[in-house]
Amino acid sequence: MSVASLSPAAAPALAGPGLSVRLGRIAFLALVVLAYAIIFAPIVMVVVTSFFDQEIVSFPPDALTLRWYVNAWAQRDFARGFVTSLQIALAATAIGVPLGTAAALALVRARIPGRGLINTFLLAPLAVPAIVAGSALYMFYLRAEDWLDMDIKATFGGLVAANVLITIPWTVRLVTASLAGLDRAAEEAAANLGARPLTVFRRITLPMLRPGIVAAALFSFVASFENLELNLLLVGPGRTTLPVAMLSYLEFRMDPTLAAVATAQIVMVSILMLVTDRFVKLSRIV
Amino acid sequence: MFALILPAVLVVAALLVGPMVLLARISLNQYSATQLMIEATTAQNYLNAVADPYYRGVMATTLVMAFTCTAVTLALGFPAAYRLARMESRWKSLVTVLTLIPLLVGNVVRAAGWLGLLGNDGLINATLRGLRITSEPLQLIYTPGAVAVGTIAVVLPYMILTLSSVIESIPRAVEEAAANLGASALTVFRRVVWPLALPGTVAGCVLVFILCMNTYATAVLLGGSQFKMMAPAVYDQFSKGMNWPFGAALAFILLAATLVLTVLGTALLGRRYAR
Repeated sequence: MSVASLSPAAAPALAGPGLSVRLGRIAFLALVVLAYAIIFAPIVMVVVTSFFDQEIVSFPPDALTLRWYVNAWAQRDFARGFVTSLQIALAATAIGVPLGTAAALALVRARIPGRGLINTFLLAPLAVPAIVAGSALYMFYLRAEDWLDMDIKATFGGLVAANVLITIPWTVRLVTASLAGLDRAAEEAAANLGARPLTVFRRITLPMLRPGIVAAALFSFVASFENLELNLLLVGPGRTTLPVAMLSYLEFRMDPTLAAVATAQIVMVSILMLVTDRFVKLSRIV
Repeated sequence: MFALILPAVLVVAALLVGPMVLLARISLNQYSATQLMIEATTAQNYLNAVADPYYRGVMATTLVMAFTCTAVTLALGFPAAYRLARMESRWKSLVTVLTLIPLLVGNVVRAAGWLGLLGNDGLINATLRGLRITSEPLQLIYTPGAVAVGTIAVVLPYMILTLSSVIESIPRAVEEAAANLGASALTVFRRVVWPLALPGTVAGCVLVFILCMNTYATAVLLGGSQFKMMAPAVYDQFSKGMNWPFGAALAFILLAATLVLTVLGTALLGRRYAR
């Protein structure tokens, strides 16, 4: 007995989809393609123009070259911005990941009243618009400079402190997500067999946490490295992050040198994200 | 256990809550051209911002841009999210990472790409010229449309990822059951997928709306000098205008407008869902 005889509505489907159904499918696919085209068009464009030979971007290219990558590194603003961003992101990650991991661990494992509230509080830096938070930090730094009689704005410490506001929430989010799937049986078994709490932590909990921590570190690093708005008012002459340097360059012109800098960033982020995905499935945390 | 949580909480309190309270206090101060700022408790900065037609215009631009971009992003993002949610697992993981990477390369990088595409010598104008469709370049860059496209490209991945995780939780069997009972693809979408995905749709729209309201780099780089949105206006007050109290008031107006609209939107859509 065929399915068609059971359900009369399915009969047209066996005869092949009707015109309207096919049109609907084409429209659906067209929207999917359009969405991804809009997402990737600017990124592909940046990568392509970084190889153009002529100094003013125009189509079609006269020839293709790699010289802009050399030129980009020779531009002191970009080279220094890159190093500054790298240092800040590394330091902010080194501080934020331990703090965030400790908090996430306690939030998932301990029975603390108001857990949800604390969790929301720790994620709040991601919810407040970065330009507003950046303005607030700017005012705060100026006020603190008056009180303490020392430089804070545009110092390494001041910028790292601001970026810890990015690395803590991302760490809490990723480590919480990676802990949610783990069960406590192994830890309880170790404790029952006589392991002291510290041993349980070192030999059982920490190894289980490792993928979450690695993912949190990589993600936090990238989020801090590419941040523009929070740092915008906190940088100063002599100490500028790469995204801020790129923004001020782009306000005047777009050329293959900038495209080369942008491409280097795209490649770095792509590699780090593919590595992160090996530790924690990114589809689970965003 | 509190000892583990405390350091992170203290850092966020010191670097986010403290400065925000200070900013709120500063928004009540008075601006002076000679002393920059005079201690006061006045709502004048807020009143000035609301009364000034220029800033009313900036706010209107920001709102229109945010609503338009959110609507278009939902329309474009839903099919893509559905496709991603119903993918086989091996590809799904790859497409998820591919959707996520653009999120993390930064808005400045993407704005650079749009400059190359939409500029007067950009790919689109060069193609039109090459095909002899136009002789003069079309003004594509430095228009509100350019900002809209650039913003949509920035927020689309957020929408797709949020929606796809919700659509994933809708069992395929429910859709198949509806189809087997004779519902057309459109009916299945309207009566089954859409209602079940509504909580995720609300969450995605709220997230995207907040991001659109706070567009900075895209507005500055693709909008040109005449185009102004709220986030750049806040930045200008602090960096160029040096009118800190007014800048602080603008920041809180932006924050409040975003908050009120998202809460209203969630309540309205949530009520429809409950019915």
